[in-house]
Amino acid sequence: MGGTNRPFHPVLMFEFCADPKAIDGLKWMACYLTTPKHQQFYFSFLIVLALIAGTAPLVMLLGFCGAFMRRSAILPIKWLGHIYTSMVRGVPDIVFFLFVPIAMDQAFEYTRHRILCPEVTEPVYRGNDFVVCTAAKLPLSSSPQWVHETYGFILAMIAFAVVFGAFAANTIDGALRAVPKAQLETARAYGMSERQTFWRIHLPQMWTFALPGLSNLWMVLVKSTPLLFLLGIEDIVYWARELGGTKTSFFEYPHPDWRAWYFLSLLIFYLLLTWVSEKAFAALTRRVSRGMATQGGKDATAGNAAEPEIAGARL
Amino acid sequence: MDSLTISDTQNNNNNANMSGVPVIELRDIHKSYGTLKVIKGVDLAARSGDVIALIGSSGSGKSTLLRCTNLLEIPQQGDILIDGEAVRWKAHHDERQPADAVQVRRIRTNLSMVFQQFNLWGHLTILQNVIEAPVTVLGRDPAEAARFGQSLLEKVGIGDKSDNYPSQLSGGQQQRAAIARALAMEPEAMLFDEPTSALDPELQGEVVQVIKDLAIDGRTMIIVTHDMKMAADVANHVIFLHQGVIEEEGSPDQLFKKPKSTRLRQFLSSTGA
Repeated sequence: MGGTNRPFHPVLMFEFCADPKAIDGLKWMACYLTTPKHQQFYFSFLIVLALIAGTAPLVMLLGFCGAFMRRSAILPIKWLGHIYTSMVRGVPDIVFFLFVPIAMDQAFEYTRHRILCPEVTEPVYRGNDFVVCTAAKLPLSSSPQWVHETYGFILAMIAFAVVFGAFAANTIDGALRAVPKAQLETARAYGMSERQTFWRIHLPQMWTFALPGLSNLWMVLVKSTPLLFLLGIEDIVYWARELGGTKTSFFEYPHPDWRAWYFLSLLIFYLLLTWVSEKAFAALTRRVSRGMATQGGKDATAGNAAEPEIAGARL
Repeated sequence: MDSLTISDTQNNNNNANMSGVPVIELRDIHKSYGTLKVIKGVDLAARSGDVIALIGSSGSGKSTLLRCTNLLEIPQQGDILIDGEAVRWKAHHDERQPADAVQVRRIRTNLSMVFQQFNLWGHLTILQNVIEAPVTVLGRDPAEAARFGQSLLEKVGIGDKSDNYPSQLSGGQQQRAAIARALAMEPEAMLFDEPTSALDPELQGEVVQVIKDLAIDGRTMIIVTHDMKMAADVANHVIFLHQGVIEEEGSPDQLFKKPKSTRLRQFLSSTGA
């Protein structure tokens, strides 16, 4: 590990770090915390954030696709939607995280093998081995290290999206069903097409029912990111274990077992992330439930009421 | 596109009205749900300026008949003509369906409906509710639609509520907002589905007053109602439906003062009119 062709190039931060044995105290700590490996540790926090930022839109995309498939009038599509959500929701996440990247990797390589190397007659599966020709390898053996890492990262992102997309599909489908029928019928009675009814009335009203489920999903997604570790990606958990472990005097910066401190830093990182998320979702929930005839809507609307008035309607 | 089509038909409509063609004409309408026959052959014609009240006990089919008019319900038999233009049908499995979605939308924009439960869109403010369909369906300019919408809200007496959400208004105010929303479409005729039934008695009066004003303006309206007093005050023609057929119809004076059928007499005495 730690080849030279990574996306990230560590730099020597301070001149005085040239000889770690000769310094102590704050200077030692400053040098210790800026070693190339520590810089990779910090960089891996960005990888986690990138994974979340990249996965969330994919989750929503798959969620809407799954929800629409389940609502489709065409039976095979409806079944496919149900199979997707039931299967993914019914299998332990970890199994799926391990299955999807390997399965996709082999499927890609197998397809490329068939197209790019038609002259090879030996089977791809030889005993216990999965062998494709050199040209079919993904990424190519000649490509730099960062391409390999990015490829692995993208496979991981797709695995996350497939799993969380199924849950999102369930939430979105339920929220679309929760919008009162009368609201949509009224839109049609005023001449709106099905498309206008969906975009102008159905979708905007859906959010107030979908957000609690989606915010849960977001929290679980944030907290699932250490699963990257399982996929062999050098994530924050990997580095915390690696850097925190006891370092004997063979190392440049020897220290006792500091893993607790490293894991504490992960704990604080995740707490901060989820705390910010909760704030954001609370604001979003207020925004989408404004005016809605729900308790949440009442609370959100109370602020800008012209005068406190009790609805006299028997609803 | 849509707005062009609509203004074209409105011109045609005006010509049609001058030649005396009913704005709304229903011929021999039949509607059933499974084996339950709700409407069994009803004819109705509303000419420009007519105010027709549909009365009858619960389950007589009066709301269903109204909802057939703008095709929220699809009758299995019978013709629906709006300004003399008949709804075109196509076979769909065992039943029929409107053949032309554009025609259906055009008819609906011309027949604004006011619902028993108001059905204001909850995520939009009152003014947004009023301009929503004119802007998205008729393609009106939003600023102009807002000016017109505000004037309609003033007209129904809730001009100060335009930035409130429906859930912040009383039932009577919500129904008046719903009437403003219907007027904003500049429809040829308006359909009222029990507009005061969901309101407490003290809030019904304000809605009835708005409907009376519309009748004085010469609006063409079909009103399904349980309120016999409103029917007598507003309508020029009253239809009494019983078990899916017209039992008796005529002017309010005839029906309320000299009812011929026993059933109507029973119905009127049960409502205390």
